[in-house]
Amino acid sequence: MDGWRVSDEQLEGWLVSLLDGTRRVVAPVAEDGLTLFREVTSADEIRLATRHPRTRLPAKETLLPATEVLFSYRLEAGGVALEVPPQPSDQVVIGLRPCDAAGTARLDEVLLADSHYADRRRRTALVTVACTSAGPACFCTAVGGSPGGTEAADLQVVPLQGSWLVRPLTDQGTTLVAGSAEGWPEASDEDWMAAEGQRRAVEATITTEPIPSEWVRGLAERFDAPAWQALAERCLGCGLCAYVCPSCACFDISDAGGALCGSRCRTWDSCGFRQFTVHAGGYNPRPSHLARHRQRVLHKFAWFPLEHGALMCVGCGRCVELCPAGIDIRQSVVRVMSG
Amino acid sequence: MNDFLPQLMRVAEARQETADVRTLRLEPVEPDRELRWRAGQFGLFSVFGAGECALTIANPPTRGGGLECTFRRVGRVTDGLDRVSAGEVVGFRGPYGNSFPVEDWLGRDLVFVGGGIGMAAVAAPLRLVLDRREDFGEVVVLNGARTAADLVFAGEADAWRRRGVRVVRTVDPGGERPGWDGEVGLIPDVFERLALPPDGRMVVVCGPPVMLGSMLRALDRLGYSPERVVTTLENRMKCGFGECGHCNVGPFVVCRDGPVISAAQLRRLPPDL
Repeated sequence: MDGWRVSDEQLEGWLVSLLDGTRRVVAPVAEDGLTLFREVTSADEIRLATRHPRTRLPAKETLLPATEVLFSYRLEAGGVALEVPPQPSDQVVIGLRPCDAAGTARLDEVLLADSHYADRRRRTALVTVACTSAGPACFCTAVGGSPGGTEAADLQVVPLQGSWLVRPLTDQGTTLVAGSAEGWPEASDEDWMAAEGQRRAVEATITTEPIPSEWVRGLAERFDAPAWQALAERCLGCGLCAYVCPSCACFDISDAGGALCGSRCRTWDSCGFRQFTVHAGGYNPRPSHLARHRQRVLHKFAWFPLEHGALMCVGCGRCVELCPAGIDIRQSVVRVMSG
Repeated sequence: MNDFLPQLMRVAEARQETADVRTLRLEPVEPDRELRWRAGQFGLFSVFGAGECALTIANPPTRGGGLECTFRRVGRVTDGLDRVSAGEVVGFRGPYGNSFPVEDWLGRDLVFVGGGIGMAAVAAPLRLVLDRREDFGEVVVLNGARTAADLVFAGEADAWRRRGVRVVRTVDPGGERPGWDGEVGLIPDVFERLALPPDGRMVVVCGPPVMLGSMLRALDRLGYSPERVVTTLENRMKCGFGECGHCNVGPFVVCRDGPVISAAQLRRLPPDL
């Protein structure tokens, strides 16, 4: 038995059951004309179906907040007192697209080394929704993903012909539906075949050519390619690409406060910023947009895959869609390889 | 548990090395917390309110009495470290990174080359070698700075000489003071004038990027095998254990795979440093 085929009412009943107050529930909601991940308190806020636009930002904040307090400090007589924030509560993130869940798997490769992230990650379940259409900038199939992909998902929901296939993929996923699934009708082999057909149909609409695996080494060898210059010329160094990326994991650590009391914070950072690498003495190993754009592309398509196997890009297309200078990371890869 | 939580350290001693270089000796506030490190490892030192910065641990683990950092006052955190007094509390995370392959040097002739505040990175392995002097062959120290007043650890030179070390000091042209009896010239040029035969000799060289580049080229020209030349990379770092992305040079993550690196390894990295 792989899973169940449930109606809108049954699915909603399950979502309501998750909102029983024992965990934090984060899901796509409509806000100011956008779809965004937010903590929800009622099931009717949740925009699960993929007929709603993809969320403007990935769900990265649920695991790596844009700013978080690592600990606070307070000067006391004869010393300093440190205080760590309370342990995170259990949470379930519902409605991630397969690309965003894959982005979480990339974050895990980098960030599970610290207990602060690992604690939160262990208490987080991911529920993905298979895509029933691809957006204009989507290119997951070019980077090893799929509109029906299940990487990092604890439970997958597939919208199918007016109903929903629900498939647990991990013990955590099984636990999430444990109370609700009694009485749900099992999905048939035909249902899963229909889901496969739907996946293939969506894949066929994604036109970006897959990035060949040998390009990982090829890019690493093209560090000095002349093409980098023209590719980087348009970059404004705004860092937006990293801020909308589900797999970018780089962060800064800084103190907010004074000598008497304050907090040490972790905040998102971007290799596109000049400050990212500048030494205290002023020397900067990556002083130009060229050097920084090259680092961004090579980290995602060469250095990270050389170490971890997978590309550090999941093809969500947000950076392509939102870059104010119109930079398309796919084109950067192709032009360096063909230049 | 939180890997970003620093260990609280009390400043046991503060020493002014030059006008803008200072050494702090730190001891754990909780005395039962044992500190272990290897020569070449670094830590994230913090002043609460100013932040953290990565500094090499300047003393070897062989001497006891806490750990030392020697730093130049050059940014917000080092400015904060420059102001703390003995008895005050600062933060320390670490030790992180790899260390100098001291056991590979047994019985060999050694050269330690430090340019400016680079001497702080040379200090731990040099002092370790001094503490085990009979395990190694000839030891030469080449310490250079812009001016005679900027030479770091100049006051220790006599003690090094008493341990049978040849100490050569050099300053940039114009950096001499009246009665200066050291060399005048850039470190690579002075090193070349020393005419030390490469035969099996190990070279440790640390310093600012420009000096390091010209010194590595000089060593190559003089026939030193890149396998026997080691340095440390001093990239900007935030986490110290391979996560934050700041110190990456191609596939090499300096805080995790370094900071100690041979000239041979360095050659295989992209020129992104």
